[in-house]
Amino acid sequence: MKKQGLTRRKFLVGSSVGGAALLAAPYLDFKSWASKEKAAGDVKVTPTLCDACGNWCAINVYTKGGRIWKAEGNPIAGNNRGRMCAKGHGFLHEVYNPDRIRSPLKRVGPNKFEKISWEQAYKEIGEKMLAIKEKHGAQSIFWLSHPQGNVKLTQRFLTALGSPNQFSHASTCFLPRNIGWWLTIGKSKPDHDFENSRFILMIGRNPAAGLNLGQLRTMVKGRDGGAKIVVVDPRYSEAAALADQWIRIRPGTDLALMLAVAHVMIKEGIYQKDFVEHYTEGFAEFADEMKKFTPEWAEKKTTVPKEIIVQLAREMALAAPRAVIHRGYHGAMGTQYKNSLQLVRSVACVNGLMGNMNQLGGLFYAPKPKLGKLDKSVHPSPPKVKGPMVDGSTDPDRYPLTPRGIGLTHAIPELALRGTLKAGFVYHSNPLRTCPNPKRVIEGYKKLELLVGFDYVLSETATLCDYILPESFYLERDDVVYTHHSVKTKQVAIRQPVVQPLYDTKPLAQILQELAPHLGIGEYFKFTLEEWNRAGLAPLGVTLEQLKKEGVIDLGDEWKPGGPVFKTYSGKLEFVSSVMKDFDLPAIPTWEEPLVSPDPKDPHSFRLIHGKQAHHTHTRTCNQPYLMQITSINDWGRLWIHPHRAKTLGIRNGDCLTITSAVGKGKVRARVTEGVHPDCVFLPSAYGVFSRNLKFAKTEGQGGFGYGISYNDFLPTYFEPILGHTMTGEIVVKVEKTFA
Amino acid sequence: MPRYGIAIDTTKCIGCFACRVACQNHNELPPSQAFNWIVEREKGSFPSFSKEFIPAQCNHCEKAPCQRVCPTGAIYTSKEGVVLVHRNRCVGCKYCIEACPYKARVLNHHEGIVTKCWLCIDMVREGGKPACVTTCPNQVRIFGDLDDPDSEISQFIAKNRAQPPRADLNTKPKIFYKRS
Amino acid sequence: MPESAWGWLIITYLFLAGAGAGAFIAAVACDLLAPDWSKALARAGSLAAGPLVAVGTVCLVLDLEAGLWQPWRQIYLLRNPTSMITWGVLVLSVFIPVAFLYAAALNKITFVGRYLAKYTWYLEIVGAPLAAGTAVYTGILIAVVNGVPFWNTPLMPVLFFASAISTGLAVAMIGAAVIDINTIRTLSNFALGHVIFLSVEGVVLMLLIFMSLTRTAEAATSAQMLISGVLSPYFWVLVVILGIVLPFVLSIFEYYEYGEMPKILVVGADLLVLVGGMSLRALIVFSGSPPQIFA
Ligand SMILES: Nc1nc2c(c(=O)[nH]1)N[C@H]1C(S)=C(S)[C@@H](COP(=O)(O)OP(=O)(O)OC[C@H]3O[C@@H](n4cnc5c(=O)[nH]c(N)nc54)[C@H](O)[C@@H]3O)O[C@H]1N2
Ligand SMILES: Nc1nc2c(c(=O)[nH]1)N[C@H]1C(S)=C(S)[C@@H](COP(=O)(O)OP(=O)(O)OC[C@H]3O[C@@H](n4cnc5c(=O)[nH]c(N)nc54)[C@H](O)[C@@H]3O)O[C@H]1N2
Ligand code: SF4
Ligand code: SF4
Ligand code: SF4
Ligand code: SF4
Ligand code: SF4
Ligand SMILES: [Mo]
Repeated sequence: MKKQGLTRRKFLVGSSVGGAALLAAPYLDFKSWASKEKAAGDVKVTPTLCDACGNWCAINVYTKGGRIWKAEGNPIAGNNRGRMCAKGHGFLHEVYNPDRIRSPLKRVGPNKFEKISWEQAYKEIGEKMLAIKEKHGAQSIFWLSHPQGNVKLTQRFLTALGSPNQFSHASTCFLPRNIGWWLTIGKSKPDHDFENSRFILMIGRNPAAGLNLGQLRTMVKGRDGGAKIVVVDPRYSEAAALADQWIRIRPGTDLALMLAVAHVMIKEGIYQKDFVEHYTEGFAEFADEMKKFTPEWAEKKTTVPKEIIVQLAREMALAAPRAVIHRGYHGAMGTQYKNSLQLVRSVACVNGLMGNMNQLGGLFYAPKPKLGKLDKSVHPSPPKVKGPMVDGSTDPDRYPLTPRGIGLTHAIPELALRGTLKAGFVYHSNPLRTCPNPKRVIEGYKKLELLVGFDYVLSETATLCDYILPESFYLERDDVVYTHHSVKTKQVAIRQPVVQPLYDTKPLAQILQELAPHLGIGEYFKFTLEEWNRAGLAPLGVTLEQLKKEGVIDLGDEWKPGGPVFKTYSGKLEFVSSVMKDFDLPAIPTWEEPLVSPDPKDPHSFRLIHGKQAHHTHTRTCNQPYLMQITSINDWGRLWIHPHRAKTLGIRNGDCLTITSAVGKGKVRARVTEGVHPDCVFLPSAYGVFSRNLKFAKTEGQGGFGYGISYNDFLPTYFEPILGHTMTGEIVVKVEKTFA
Repeated sequence: MPRYGIAIDTTKCIGCFACRVACQNHNELPPSQAFNWIVEREKGSFPSFSKEFIPAQCNHCEKAPCQRVCPTGAIYTSKEGVVLVHRNRCVGCKYCIEACPYKARVLNHHEGIVTKCWLCIDMVREGGKPACVTTCPNQVRIFGDLDDPDSEISQFIAKNRAQPPRADLNTKPKIFYKRS
Repeated sequence: MPESAWGWLIITYLFLAGAGAGAFIAAVACDLLAPDWSKALARAGSLAAGPLVAVGTVCLVLDLEAGLWQPWRQIYLLRNPTSMITWGVLVLSVFIPVAFLYAAALNKITFVGRYLAKYTWYLEIVGAPLAAGTAVYTGILIAVVNGVPFWNTPLMPVLFFASAISTGLAVAMIGAAVIDINTIRTLSNFALGHVIFLSVEGVVLMLLIFMSLTRTAEAATSAQMLISGVLSPYFWVLVVILGIVLPFVLSIFEYYEYGEMPKILVVGADLLVLVGGMSLRALIVFSGSPPQIFA
């Protein structure tokens, strides 16, 4: 929509040269004119679950003449309440993406693949995997998957193999968020009763682009009900567009803001006294520690005026307990900074000062239905595997607080380079593009003796795999029963095929079942997915048939406000974390500097921050033409930079920039905007696809291979000392104007 | 007969473009063609900086310039006040594209005609709502009967004094905006 | 959204239709007012008029999409009396045959021509208004477009008419020179036509620009694009200097020198007028920008 003037100028210049060519233009369109008419035929609707991002929204998909046509959100589903996002609509077209994998593949050379039969794939994988297990032990095998419903199956598979090394994306995403809450209230993901809130604070959380449609909807309902929404973010996020106030903070310093807010609440005695008295642990020490964190002090750290900090604390206290600070996700409270864990702890504590746990308009635990299990007498579960993971999770001397089954994804390449890991499975995940420092990651994964991938296209990671087992796409397969739609009430949902598989692909459960015997663990996979799901549903009094008809079934049992319950060891909200004390870690929230910071004297030095865009999922939608069109018409691939900083560097909107860090260098165009803190530049996190096998979007205009850059290109391989996460916000870059 | 229109609350729009793709899918448009679009506006400078996302589409003008200039009479207004295009009468002269002040009309090379938002009248006549309305996570768009004073849309327009875009062009649009 | 759905085909159409109509008028004027000066000019003008407008109309049709691949749809083109295209189609479909008949009559081509010769005068009376209509209509076509404030002014038809006459005259004069180079001398009388209509064109164009600068924000944007923006080089060089000023000056000399001026310059002046006419239409189409909808 922007660059019309330009195109017109080109047009005029071009045409004054080759007017004749342009006169002929209408004929050139004959091909497209003659091309296919709209799809026609009978319409069918199938309820299922979207898989264009981790939210797994419940959707009703329409087919016309057997071809996917469109979809709508399921009105009762807790996660999306009848809504759908651009990705959900756009990803429907991926079924027909020509870049899809059409059969099992064996890599016979760099980026050279050969079609093979499932049987051959199973046989060869089985032999090689067992040989490795013989030689190096089960410890040398890992499984990485983006944890969603299916993780129960993959867990079972890996446990049967005798390995504890179940990895997830957590160390690149949310790790401190989960642990910080767990340490403080005994549970890692409390929900928010935004509808009834009077005050909503978002700290580095942007559900308006890091979408959670359910959350977004309740936030807006809360706003309609008169709630004040405040967004703390170094940039003017999409959530800020919904908010009453945008607090522009220096990145990496939210901890200071929270500590100062606690300081004010305690100093002015405006916290919920009897809640603190009855339901919390260690307030005295906490209050004592907070004394030094004055608003004046915090202003210096955060660049947020002390008046605003005081006002924030007072307004929240006034609205409490119907006031809530969002639990956080990836930004700020996720795997961003060295101090993120302390930030999450302090956020949980300030929520505690507002006494909002299990209160109207506060925090609550979503009621989840308890799924049944397979009958052990018929289907014995594999023996538990003891000991810590190879990455040091749960190891008292390394990452004691990082639980099993989550793992540090970005440790895999390091462990491979050390020879600790020899073989692995990567399911529905793309570490080559989503982990820090790709050069290093590639080196590491290349070192593995056997890498088996599950993907629907040749992603960066799949391109490196020795074998690729193409899972049927989400619109072509069944998956395990799913309970994550339970927000205020208990819900079960299920994914089922909308169309028959286009190519020679299979659902995960079937692949595991067929592969297991070749690994000598056949006895643990004698069941079908249907049996697994029926067993799961049994205790809920819901039949698989009913569920497949409805897509989502609500089991009621709605959450009601009441007395707070905490699942911590003390049974209370822990201002002072007993667990951290045991491992003598800083058990009282306190200030900690970010790992790195830009040089205030160097006009080229910035912190590089990143974030989601509502129309993309990580980098995996960058090859989807419908979604990439949105990027190109808005020119939204650009790097945000503040006008004052831009001016001193002679940078104008649209100029080409080179950004450099210790580990990477890249080119990107500038978006000069007041909507970003002068200390940092902001890079949308959806781009930088480097797999040559993702080319469809390019043929359709823009996107896919070679489009844009990623923050990971500039991020060194870090392990945060306590949890070992990636610290994706700890990047300092040099920004320079370049030409072309 | 109802007189359909849409009220848009830009203060709730997050520029997520779900409405664009939902529309493209329902109407089977290629990636590069869309019947609705979002205008992004940055206002003021820090600390009073703010940003607004403004969804837009055909206004179904009561005095539609496109309809007036269309030589073939392919453009007509339905009984529900929806401005439609007669697919097999349009010759593709593009006069309407020039005439539409809102630039809401889309040249469809496949069929050689010019189309645009048709208020999803196919779904609406079956008692449904337009795709861009139902998919929106924040219910930015309110669809309904402008002639029924009790309809949600009429109430909303009255309560918020929602305005049509560029009333001064006196095209009498049926899309109304609440912008603050 | 594209800002200009129309391109070179429509521009060429606007130009040829104008030039053709102008040539017809030039021919009629010459035949009625100054037959003894130059028969060649009247003949050239009449011969050019029909083909030019016809070719222009072909461009208009080529710009259609469905209407081109499914020609039968074109009958619909007459269905909407509020559309300028509908009227245009009407005027053209009457004018083109008349123009051809006139050419035949004036040049006694075939038996038709010999037969019609005695009715030449009627053809002139019927044809002149149609020609004027065609010339003015090309301006009205874009003047009624509310989508583009810059076009949306009554000055547009006047500008297009003036330009049509000078381009038409230019065509006729070049044609005359081709038919019989010795008439160049006497042709110089017609340079007065250029002097008059080029100055009208210049004045109206100035008015258009100045009024646009103050009329609406969007019209101003367009005007700026022409006088100082991305299109300004084309505007000043092709339209103002080469298309108006230079031929205007040359025509004055030509007029007072009674054809003492080198032939090449006489024909050159006319060629420049054509370049200017085409460029003017192109630039007006390309500079049209839509109203700013959301402040
Ligand atoms: N560059 C970049 N890196 C990031 C992020 C980012 O936004 N940008 N975000 C961070 C965050 S918050 C997270 S959670 C992680 C997530 O990082 P990952 O866990 O790697 O998740 P995705 O990047 O979504 O990769 C999903 C992979 O699954 C494949 N896939 C899609 N559909 C299917 C299917 O039906 N079956 C199978 N088997 N595979 C499928 C896709 O092709 C893609 O290769 O990344 C982190 N790292
Ligand atoms: N459209 C879309 N939605 C998604 C996803 C997706 O890929 N695309 N992925 C899903 C997943 S896996 C995740 S983890 C979530 C992520 O959800 P979020 O964590 O909300 O999303 P992010 O954009 O990573 O980060 C949110 C905000 O943090 C800000 N930020 C960065 N550094 C700082 C800081 O130091 N302080 C503060 N206060 N803010 C900071 C960024 O500017 C950004 O606006 O989104 C989920 N939903
Ligand atoms: S948020 Fe969008 S992409 Fe993610 S599951 Fe829901 S609809 Fe699909
Ligand atoms: S779907 Fe709603 S929120 Fe998203 S861009 Fe469209 S109108 Fe705005
Ligand atoms: S908005 Fe444009 S296309 Fe829609 S009715 Fe009005 S003039 Fe016609
Ligand atoms: S393009 Fe079609 S709809 Fe538009 S004016 Fe021409 S005939 Fe009418
Ligand atoms: S009303 Fe229907 S056609 Fe119009 S923009 Fe919305 S979805 Fe598209
Ligand atoms: Mo994530």
